[in-house]
Amino acid sequence: MVATSHDVMPDIELYQPADEATALDLAARLGNEGWLLSGGQDTYGWLKDRNKTPSAMIELTQIDAWKGVKETSDGIEIGATTTLTEIANDPLIKSRFGLLAKAASVVASPQIRNVGTLGGNLNQDARCWYYRRGLDCYRAGGNICYADSPEGLNREHALFGASRCVAVSPSDTAPALVALDATMVISSSSGQRTMSAQDYFVGPDRDIVNMTALNEGEILTAVRLPNAWANAEFYWEKVADRNVWDFALVSIAAVFKASGNTIEDSRVACGAVECVPRRLESVEDAIRGQQRSEALASNAGELATNGARPLNYNHFKVPLMQNLVKRAIRG
Amino acid sequence: MGEIVRYKRDVWGEEVILGVSWDLLYVVFMAIVLLLVAHAIVMAALAKKNLDRPTADGKKVVRHETVDRWFHWLMAASILALIFTGISPILGLRIAWLDLHWMSGLLLTFLVVAHIVRASFWQDFKSMLLVPKDFGEPFDSSRKPGKYYFEQKGMHWAVTVVTLAVIVTGVLMFMQIDTPFWDRTNSMAEDQLGLVFLLHGLSTLALVALAATHIYFALRPEKIYYTRSMISGWMSEDELAANHDPALWSPKEAD
Repeated sequence: MVATSHDVMPDIELYQPADEATALDLAARLGNEGWLLSGGQDTYGWLKDRNKTPSAMIELTQIDAWKGVKETSDGIEIGATTTLTEIANDPLIKSRFGLLAKAASVVASPQIRNVGTLGGNLNQDARCWYYRRGLDCYRAGGNICYADSPEGLNREHALFGASRCVAVSPSDTAPALVALDATMVISSSSGQRTMSAQDYFVGPDRDIVNMTALNEGEILTAVRLPNAWANAEFYWEKVADRNVWDFALVSIAAVFKASGNTIEDSRVACGAVECVPRRLESVEDAIRGQQRSEALASNAGELATNGARPLNYNHFKVPLMQNLVKRAIRG
Repeated sequence: MGEIVRYKRDVWGEEVILGVSWDLLYVVFMAIVLLLVAHAIVMAALAKKNLDRPTADGKKVVRHETVDRWFHWLMAASILALIFTGISPILGLRIAWLDLHWMSGLLLTFLVVAHIVRASFWQDFKSMLLVPKDFGEPFDSSRKPGKYYFEQKGMHWAVTVVTLAVIVTGVLMFMQIDTPFWDRTNSMAEDQLGLVFLLHGLSTLALVALAATHIYFALRPEKIYYTRSMISGWMSEDELAANHDPALWSPKEAD
């Protein structure tokens, strides 16, 4: 059903648990009918447009255990309902993991960052407008990708990993977490599990409906950043049509361990070019142990876009991605 | 529950077919399980204490050539792979199923084409033909068939029709995705695409039912030697005499 914006919230049950156990029990009991609500920036549009119709919302922001930044023996742990403004301004994150602070500081607009949370930014749904508009595309349970049709408008869509759907990962913090080798902490009423940020995001080849590895009844409760990449050399850049309140056309998050001019090790990830943050392992391999130079940066840029499959309107993303990789390696 | 066809609004707001309702998968599964369990119970109740079954000892005759047995088992493997990969997203399994699905489909298509050619020119094609007088065979205990029973022929032709439907609709869907052979065009009209999805879904449901039934009867003890012959290639002369009319089928001796 094509959306008609009602501009008012539908009648919906609201649960506001104040402790972890209650929230996890609610998530288990309500399953897919219980919409997890944090900052709400990905929620209200869906619900007002009646394109998602859960019967209940579980608001997570009253649970103190899932908020804030704390130091651990191996790094830091960030609660999933910590706001993006808090992350961007947190002294511990800024001093050790400035890449994430930088990524969080350019999400959307100041107002959105004040209420939007890390968990919400990571778990937000695809921003493809055909999907958001309520069309029955593949991601919505249909049998066609409108963005990938001959007439489809796909300027913002994927260069890589299209498998019936060409939507991209819209999160600014996701590539930063992949580059920092973060671990995602996933809780449910039956316990807790962890997985790497890289594995947390799921492409349409594996699951065309969901963008993360979260199962029904599970909640992303924290993100852990290991000290292995603390105080490394960071590079973050986001290119968007507007400097404020816009999603990336392409973004890059890179961490380097360098000795003088030599890159000893690195992790590089691009956002908005695939349905998941795209880790550029071929680039990492190519620059390992190499002296920084214009030629190295240029070659790495070319390497980064090997296998890219531009759509009708997003060929510009290829040189854009190449240049971002070049700029990251130049430092 | 209750619908067979799912509909959606296309980009112009018109109602078009989306595909089959996958609730039917559970209906088909339950119906087949119930039928086969009922059959097993009835067969167990009717079973004689002292079964007078033909012996596997003695001279052997060739029932299936090696190449035909390979065809059969490879087709079986590809169909089972197609069913598993095809229904995995419906069951909520998160695997990269699509590549495995079209690769299995390609293998099945190749095998089916090769089988049709071989059956037409190198095998006794007539032995598999269903003719009107065959329909009286199940009701006349004095009649013995040639190489294949009425039921075996029926299963073969049912699987043939359904498999061809799966292949034709599958190829049309295959053309909409990226493969090593071509780039996706994604250009089929939504109503046509919906019809293709519907026919593919319906033939898949029929294939699930037929595959389950075929496996069940292949494992039944009273005719297990047919399954053995599909593995080893032979049946005994005693089994041949007990079940087949030598005037209609006289196989050569096995080595």
